[in-house]
Amino acid sequence: MTITGKLEKDVSTLKKLLSAEDILTFDFTSDSGQAFTVVFADPITDKELLGEQVVRPLLSYDGKPTAEEVGKKLTSPERREEKDFQKLSEEVLAGNPVLFFEGMDEAIIVGTKKVFVRAVAEPSTDVAVKGPREGFIEDVKINTSLVRRRLKSKDLKIEFLNVGKRSNTFVAVCYLDGISVKKTVEEVKARLSEIDIDYIADSSYLTHFLASRPYSLLKQIGTTEKPDIFCAKIAEGRVGLLVDGSPIALTAPYLLVEDFQSSEDYFVPPYRATFTRILRILSLFVAIYLPAFYISAQLFKLQLFPVKLLLTIAGAIRDIPFSPSLEMLLVLFVLEVLNEASIRMPKYVGMALSVVGALVLGETAVSAGFVSTPAIIIIAFSGIGLYAVPNLIEVTSVLRLVMLLVAGSVGTYGILLVTAFVLLYLVTTENFGTPVLAPFSPLIRRDLRDSLIKYNLGSLDMRPKTLQSPNKRRLKQKGKQKETQND
Amino acid sequence: MTKISSRQLYFFLACIAPVGKLVIMPSRLATYSGNDLLLPVLFNYLIETGMVFVVLLLAKQGKSFFSLLKEHIGKVGAAIVVLLFSAFLFYAAFLPLFEQKVFVQGVFYDTIPSLVAFAPFFPLAAYLCSKPLSSYGRTWDILGPVAIAGLAGILVLSVSEADFGALLPVGASGAKGIFGGTAHSLCWFFDSAFLLFLLGKIDYQKGMAWKGALFYGLGGLAAILYIAVFYGIFQETSINQLFAFAKTSKFFSGITVLGRVDFLFIYALAFVMIFYCTLPLQAGIDGILQVFGKKKYLPTILAVALNGILVLLMVFFDYRFGQIMHFVSEKVFWLFPVFTVLAPLLLLLLRRRKDESA
Repeated sequence: MTITGKLEKDVSTLKKLLSAEDILTFDFTSDSGQAFTVVFADPITDKELLGEQVVRPLLSYDGKPTAEEVGKKLTSPERREEKDFQKLSEEVLAGNPVLFFEGMDEAIIVGTKKVFVRAVAEPSTDVAVKGPREGFIEDVKINTSLVRRRLKSKDLKIEFLNVGKRSNTFVAVCYLDGISVKKTVEEVKARLSEIDIDYIADSSYLTHFLASRPYSLLKQIGTTEKPDIFCAKIAEGRVGLLVDGSPIALTAPYLLVEDFQSSEDYFVPPYRATFTRILRILSLFVAIYLPAFYISAQLFKLQLFPVKLLLTIAGAIRDIPFSPSLEMLLVLFVLEVLNEASIRMPKYVGMALSVVGALVLGETAVSAGFVSTPAIIIIAFSGIGLYAVPNLIEVTSVLRLVMLLVAGSVGTYGILLVTAFVLLYLVTTENFGTPVLAPFSPLIRRDLRDSLIKYNLGSLDMRPKTLQSPNKRRLKQKGKQKETQND
Repeated sequence: MTKISSRQLYFFLACIAPVGKLVIMPSRLATYSGNDLLLPVLFNYLIETGMVFVVLLLAKQGKSFFSLLKEHIGKVGAAIVVLLFSAFLFYAAFLPLFEQKVFVQGVFYDTIPSLVAFAPFFPLAAYLCSKPLSSYGRTWDILGPVAIAGLAGILVLSVSEADFGALLPVGASGAKGIFGGTAHSLCWFFDSAFLLFLLGKIDYQKGMAWKGALFYGLGGLAAILYIAVFYGIFQETSINQLFAFAKTSKFFSGITVLGRVDFLFIYALAFVMIFYCTLPLQAGIDGILQVFGKKKYLPTILAVALNGILVLLMVFFDYRFGQIMHFVSEKVFWLFPVFTVLAPLLLLLLRRRKDESA
């Protein structure tokens, strides 16, 4: 359906397509008698801007009734002409008013959308002591501007796609032309265009459709809330996705090792970064395995404890009425409840919860003989350890529970079997043709320089081989004349 | 999944050489050969290293085992031979699996648990077997360092307690003892047989055959060194020490203060053994798939069926490990060289003859 040029008919056609009460029309006439009508969505249109940039300039209009001539009179920098009613209705719903007038050849879409955004602030999930503090917000345009400000390159491509049948959510596909693998970019776009869903509430919805194993427990798409990390990943050759309405950006292909890296690692000396990365992985292993090994040692292999420690533990657990595994599960359950409640509850009761949870519940449970001190210490340590790698918390907390259940029933051999299963699952998982466990499996020596060990910036002269970027070099150093094939 | 790279293959060969041969074999060797136990194991490693070299020479063509056989003996003949090899591998896998079962029951628990404790191994084995054989390249990238750390850790904790003088004089058990030990430990040396099924999945590089054999030989040397330490510690009582690598490090002086830290290394090796034990099963299934083609659910069906049968066999033979070992290592030990030595050599000869006639 297209524009007829008859004002009343065209306006009523659009109103029929958009038969909601918050879709309003505003009629006005210029001094020369030319009639205009603006159709707009009331809650999401900036009416002040509309009056300033559209109505006021047109009040004195006395030219020809063509979109080109009328458009010249408008002071809005964002405008375009359109004939198709379907597209016009989509624009109105996106907050951009449509201007009709008698005798027109095309309607004019004006960009006076009302934008409700919070300020760009430091994300709570990825705090850095050193380095940039900006975080993405919910508006995709502001997010793309944060990216553009950091990558002022003509090679930075930002392509907008609409995803979601009802939500028509903007998804910005960002990549560096000549650095990202074309096949990956095309595959990302193809997978996005195949999505047939009503509503996209958050970027996490997209991860399900982008993952090669959608039902996997393990993460398959990288996430970040920080523009500096997002840009660094794009500069390495990844494809980034910004989703309107979500402060969490996505990156693909994803490598497991990414979650052990923090933005701060690149702003501190390499030995410090290496130390913290090793600390993170050790924390994670301790968090997952410590409760399980404790239970399995208690139930099946007491020799694992040194004699003095065994005596201490024996003293602590002597009067506990539960089996070791039930006791540990109980403490873990309390920890998970406290964790969940502390996230959701209003801040003003948070302090009370800490007192009740940590002091009253913990202390009283031990003195009443319900649980032992070692169990509380182990679960508390495990709980803290998991947060050393916050991006993996969903996976690791489930793994810890699985390990605990297996340790309580089969013992250490069960722990080894579950570990073997996870290992095999990881080594056989690929995403966009990239093995998720690289650079460890398959072993890529050069990429190990920015894995658990962090070399200094001068040594990270090549892009990760794992990502197969067509442009391999990212740093040229004076005096070094080698490997210039793809510079 | 891409092909197995040369580095992955060398890692794999160096690690599979010792793993799986350090559980029961050292005590059995001590039974047959006494203080000469290093000689039989040395002979067997030399033969096996040679066979690894032969198999890797065959890898040069980049063809699968089935395709190579098909060129010489036709499709039907090749199918029969490959299926026979698969059956052999299932048979050969039974002893290491049983070994692992008694090892787990003996080492992982203070009291001997029921078979149920070992049963969860089979669902995992079924999952492993349903994966393509080429996935082993990536798996061993991770397992390699784990195996090396495990073996090195145990050796470091044990070596100070060993009296190597116990291995002297050489030849005390006589030719019968040495050759008896060699023959009766053949059942632990069938690595080259499942290596045949990696043919066509290896990214062949120049010099891979001798380098691969060298890495396998180095792994073998590590095993020999460990067996020497084992005999140096237990000497005449070695014949009673069934789970060798779980026993030698317990005399480490720091254990009284630190607890059984050596279990970290023992668990590391046990972890690697999980994968090692499923290798022949996975290779056997791959053989069947080579013959019948890779249909969609066939690997999963075969993996589940095979492991189901193994569970039943384990239940049936639960308390008969001694008889099983006696049967495999003393009655039908001759079956192993037929598949691990004669068959690869024959294939190489046929290959050479064809090359010459061409």
